[in-house]
Amino acid sequence: MAATARSALLKYLRVPVKPSLPSNPLPFTLLLRRFSEEVRGSFLDKSEVTDRVVSVVKNFQKVEPSKVTPNAHFQNDLGLDSLDTVEIVMALEEEFGFEIPDNEADKISSIDLAVDFIASHPQAK
Amino acid sequence: MGGGNAPRRLSGMQKQVLALYRGFLRAARSKSPDDRRRIDSVVSSEFRRNAHQVDRKNFLYIEYLLRRGKKQLDQLKSPDTTGLSSLSFAPPSQSVGSHK
Repeated sequence: MAATARSALLKYLRVPVKPSLPSNPLPFTLLLRRFSEEVRGSFLDKSEVTDRVVSVVKNFQKVEPSKVTPNAHFQNDLGLDSLDTVEIVMALEEEFGFEIPDNEADKISSIDLAVDFIASHPQAK
Repeated sequence: MGGGNAPRRLSGMQKQVLALYRGFLRAARSKSPDDRRRIDSVVSSEFRRNAHQVDRKNFLYIEYLLRRGKKQLDQLKSPDTTGLSSLSFAPPSQSVGSHK
């Protein structure tokens, strides 16, 4: 599972490599900041999380993409049942590369709840 | 499983069913993409069929289905198992897995 999630993620991520060192070396403060972020685990930007969650839900086959808004409720607004919700949360796990435990997953019933949970989770990638 | 406008409150039994469903989808991730797709569709249609056909108050039968499902999930988790041969129609004793 980890391998699939990882390869899906690696397919998704493309970091442009710029040979920047000789021309303008990184300022010392930036190096420091990077180091400290690595130590405490970094949180994803909330608006980025929202965009990615919205696009995962839009790609879900049973959902009418035009109904998907950042505060749509899976059952009330999108007409999904609890089994669909399980499938969506599983798709979010693959998108963000970490496992959501059952008791947390059961609470995620809308897009904004999903965004809050993922944005507050340091392991989300 | 029904919707309604009240905030969703899941019963203990509903949580068990959803956890079992999640378990099947997780186990399917470890299979080849083709097997995974087949397993996902069999599992999804089986859960949906029971959600519609089984009386939500028939606790004894739902408990039986949960127990059967857990056994089937254990077999699916074995690396040798590549699929579920039609959960729904085979007799419970030999319903899972082309080979053990």
